[in-house]
Amino acid sequence: MISTRKFLRVLFGGGLLAPFLWLIGKRKSRQAAFLWQIDPDKCIQCGKCETACVLGHSAVKCVHQYAACGYCLFCSGYYQDKRIKFDTAAENLRCPTDAIKRKYIEDPYFEYTIDEEACIGCGKCVKGCAAFGNGSLFLQIRQGLCKQCNQCRIAEICPSHAVVRVPADKPYLFKRPPEVKT
Amino acid sequence: MIPILAQARFPAPEFENYILPQLQMETFIRDPIVWRVSALLLFLVVTGLCFYRWRSAKAMRLLALAGVAIFGFLFTACPCPVGMFQNLLAAFVHDHPLGYGLLLLFAIPLATALFFGRLFCAGACPLGAVQELLHWKSIQIPLPVDRALRLIPIALFLLIVVAVVAGMTFPLCSLDPYLPLFLWSSSISTVAFLVLGLFVSRPFCRYVCPYGVLLRLFSLVAWKTPAITVKICITCRLCEQGCPNGAVLPPEDAPTADLQVRGVRRLSRLIASLPLALCLGGLLGWYTAPIISGHHPAVRLLADIEIHQTNDAVEAFETSGTPLAQLQNEVAQVRHIFDWGMPLAGVLLAGVVMAELIAENRRRKESRSYTIDPSLCFCCGRCYAACPLNRKREPKEGAAS
Repeated sequence: MISTRKFLRVLFGGGLLAPFLWLIGKRKSRQAAFLWQIDPDKCIQCGKCETACVLGHSAVKCVHQYAACGYCLFCSGYYQDKRIKFDTAAENLRCPTDAIKRKYIEDPYFEYTIDEEACIGCGKCVKGCAAFGNGSLFLQIRQGLCKQCNQCRIAEICPSHAVVRVPADKPYLFKRPPEVKT
Repeated sequence: MIPILAQARFPAPEFENYILPQLQMETFIRDPIVWRVSALLLFLVVTGLCFYRWRSAKAMRLLALAGVAIFGFLFTACPCPVGMFQNLLAAFVHDHPLGYGLLLLFAIPLATALFFGRLFCAGACPLGAVQELLHWKSIQIPLPVDRALRLIPIALFLLIVVAVVAGMTFPLCSLDPYLPLFLWSSSISTVAFLVLGLFVSRPFCRYVCPYGVLLRLFSLVAWKTPAITVKICITCRLCEQGCPNGAVLPPEDAPTADLQVRGVRRLSRLIASLPLALCLGGLLGWYTAPIISGHHPAVRLLADIEIHQTNDAVEAFETSGTPLAQLQNEVAQVRHIFDWGMPLAGVLLAGVVMAELIAENRRRKESRSYTIDPSLCFCCGRCYAACPLNRKREPKEGAAS
């Protein structure tokens, strides 16, 4: 024979458990292998990725898609809009940390490489490239750096809701061709 | 990888001898969730043994240290008390991914609380472990203030449930002050909570943690509860002074007839005012609903568009080409959820306050020893260390005096 107190306790415990078991049974998606990524089509390069990440050094880096690059001499991702002249002096360059490395290939073409150690993910070059160039520079969350927080801080404040979850077997989102754009 | 661009203004030049560099894109390597679940299980078993069998405060401190190392730094704050219930809710309401591993991480601490009290808080919770280690000198908070502050987590919990159902991103995650610590960075709230934690024991656990609300509820009916001394209590008060969390309840005399009459009168007054209190709670929720829903991103966006303010969100919305009617529809839905959810949450909060007041005035049995309230005990073992009867040296003298 169990006492009334014990019976009430068991009843209370069961009553607590029941809604949780119900919630668990009703959940829809069981797939857990999702990663955070920036959709470059939605990204407006507001520059919040640089500071919003929980990591001291943001996991967002600029990625250069070489196959899409025009190898321009006057790269609009490399040079600032208010440049004084086209040389490599810091006041003429867009990148605040000098993370874009420029290499001569053949006249008049240059190859641009992102130094990921130096890149802070501010997206200034991305904005320039998208405005006047081919859009071959874009921001991506580097999955090797990202901690996959439960709730990405960047996703929380991103004004264009560009930070989305992607399946783990396709960890990066590259730009889609213009005609397929939905 | 699809090498296609969004705008093709400049065609790629044809080089003679130049090899197109290949992008090196690394992928995320996740350790199997089985490790985390089994580590948590093992850790809880060891915590239980240290707390209930060996009754050692030193072992509990060591466990907190191990908890910070394993669950904090190795697993990057993994069984996260802040995010877990939001995950479950979001998985239920909005198709948010939630695997079996995460589900187990959520359920195991609750199941433990149901049987053995809040063992999870002692060391397995990385946030709790950090606060346990960085507590230096305790300032006892006066009981009425403490009780009032203890309502904050309940209010936060209810608020977050409504916010998550309304489709806000996990609102509490950005308030988690200890997460940056495990990622080797910091923020203002981290420093503030750490400094506060030096003097007030476990400020986050006691006055913020929403998962703690669930643990508190579940541990109310804990099957096994800690007892400060296995011998007869000498009511020396040392354990009450030693507990920084106010979880030790003093002994009580049997109520006199006069007190009993007064208690019954107070109780009947409380029960009579119950409907009024619930209405007040509902009103509070109803008044706060527009304030809270104003922080929902969609609501804010629509408000900005209506007053023709230009900011990043408005710009992004205009470039995306989404019709305004769709946004208005979404906002109406969000407002609907808040308009119903907030009064409900207010009623529940008022109900909790009244239930606590009623429980305070219930008829109590006479008790001759200091006991532990399992719903407030974080299983640190300080009372074991403080109790003179538990010390191995001269046990007979202590019992005689």
